[in-house]
Amino acid sequence: MAEGTGRGEMLSIWFFVGALTLTYGLVLLPYGAWEWFGHHEPPTVLNNLHPTFWWGLLLTLFGATYSTRYRPRREDIDKV
Amino acid sequence: MSALLTAQLTHLAPIDILILVLYYVLVIFVGFYVKRATNTSEQFFLAGREMTAWIAGLSFVSANLGSLELMGWAGSAYQYGILAAHWYWIGAIPAMLFLGIVMMPFYYISKTHSVPGYLQLRFGEEARALSAVSFGLMTILMSGVNMYAMALVMKVILGWNINFSIWIGAVTVTVYVMLGGLRSAIINEVVQFVLIWAGAALVPILGLIEAGGWNNLKAQIAHNVGNPSYTHMWSTLGHFHSNPMGVNWTGIIFGLGFVVSFGYWTTDFLVVQRVLSAHNLRAAKMAPVIGAAFKMAVPFIVILPGLICLGLTSHGHPVYHLVGQNAVDAAHPYSYNEVLPLMLIRYCGPGLLGLGITALVAGFMSGMDGNISAFSTVWTYDIYKAFINKRATDRHYVLMGRISTLAGMVISVATAYLVADAASIMDYVQALFSFFIAPLFGSVVLGMLWKRATSAGGFWGLLAGTVSSISMFTYTRLGGERALAHIAFSSDAQPMAETLYRALWSWLICVTVTIVVSLMTTPKPEAELVGLVYGATEIPDDGATDLWHKPIFWAVIVIVVFFILNLIFF
Repeated sequence: MAEGTGRGEMLSIWFFVGALTLTYGLVLLPYGAWEWFGHHEPPTVLNNLHPTFWWGLLLTLFGATYSTRYRPRREDIDKV
Repeated sequence: MSALLTAQLTHLAPIDILILVLYYVLVIFVGFYVKRATNTSEQFFLAGREMTAWIAGLSFVSANLGSLELMGWAGSAYQYGILAAHWYWIGAIPAMLFLGIVMMPFYYISKTHSVPGYLQLRFGEEARALSAVSFGLMTILMSGVNMYAMALVMKVILGWNINFSIWIGAVTVTVYVMLGGLRSAIINEVVQFVLIWAGAALVPILGLIEAGGWNNLKAQIAHNVGNPSYTHMWSTLGHFHSNPMGVNWTGIIFGLGFVVSFGYWTTDFLVVQRVLSAHNLRAAKMAPVIGAAFKMAVPFIVILPGLICLGLTSHGHPVYHLVGQNAVDAAHPYSYNEVLPLMLIRYCGPGLLGLGITALVAGFMSGMDGNISAFSTVWTYDIYKAFINKRATDRHYVLMGRISTLAGMVISVATAYLVADAASIMDYVQALFSFFIAPLFGSVVLGMLWKRATSAGGFWGLLAGTVSSISMFTYTRLGGERALAHIAFSSDAQPMAETLYRALWSWLICVTVTIVVSLMTTPKPEAELVGLVYGATEIPDDGATDLWHKPIFWAVIVIVVFFILNLIFF
């Protein structure tokens, strides 16, 4: 059973967590790369550490892990 | 509000708006997605009682993690130093563990739908009516305060129109709570918890790097404020005048650590409702333990940014000079409450800024949905079903839950506009909550642990505690510092001490009146107390088969970490 969203539903609550963080990671990662490698860093403190790129990468990895681990499975779909 | 006088702090880039819009899309999608699994009253009001310990635990801690609280306590950390962390540690952890290990079995096995519902089972209809009406009123007003606070923050940070912010927040929350009830609220709260960390954790990390580590930050704070007391949690609590908050250790331990904390975390239905959604007794006991473990980490994203803001220096001078709301002027344009937005803007460029703002929006919406879903449950079960329409169908009560969600939100919007017209109302609404929580804890804990407590004792104790709390509040508002000195037993006490001691006295009055009246009246037969009171109830086995599955084992781990943290920052 998918956790948290009701009996027989396909998508687990953890899938929502993974999907949102993965989406944000996929938005931030290329943007951070464009800032870093295109020399478009914003005028923030410690911008030399390229936080948008690294944070985007972290969210992508976290989101991908959760989205994969809790992805809708065949047996869950069959139950609906 | 003086904050309105300042120009907006920043603006959003297209990527920030994209991140914000994605969040709104997910929230609304969740509401529609879970609607099909939300047909019965058990599903609408208690999420079908099928949540795991992790989901119930994260939702339990997240329901309390509204942005009003995040921004307020970050500001308090700037104003009072690390003492603000007491509200996250001694002011939460012991109470959360007590709820999980001692009180949850009674809430859970009594199969009550709400805290007023437990009072009805234990003390009768009068106690339930008093508790339900006061709780319903408070939640609806608090939801309005949250709504206005969100609108104000969006205006200050981004220059958004107040009406736009109020209505977009209200419509979004109404849609997903009406559709999916508590289940929808819980899912969004878990997502919001992750989002808050994703949006806010970068600030303390980069702040510590800029400050040169924790030891350097401590030295810089001592240099900026002129003494080292801002980074010690206990060593400065010997007397009211030796710490920036103007409290002493008795107020922190007994007022905050016992009464305020236990009152909030064990009897405020807004948070207890999340745990009641657990799918079995072990999950119900584990959920507060898991919540406590995460609660201990929250000062990292709330208190630390305030301390970093306080300690940052440039050429030997503080970078920021924040003041109270009433002291904002052209020379000091920012108030304490703007610590978190200022730190976000300092370290986060486009994209990350959008993530941080989305985390704040999510926090505000969580504050609203928590209040609205709790209101709808208490209205439907403890007022409508108990006193207005006792024999309707289950389907009718679900419909009433949806209607009361909508009605509650309309009243909240009206409250938000009322607060916008007279800002001082906001302080009174927040104070109102404190009137009921401490006495309610007295009634519930005596009801659970003392078989001799009677219905009359429970009702009169609750009433006496509440009236005494309101009286002390009025006395200190009219009597000023002299009155405060009487309540806190010290002329050095500051306003923060008033809340702690008022809670302590009102709890003691509630307990005393309950005991005296109970001893003068006839108790219920023991057979009627089964499942409700310690000593009359055989606690069922929670199904834990080995040490790793036992809630008490994890509670011990959490409490040990709690002591270690307090020693490190002593």
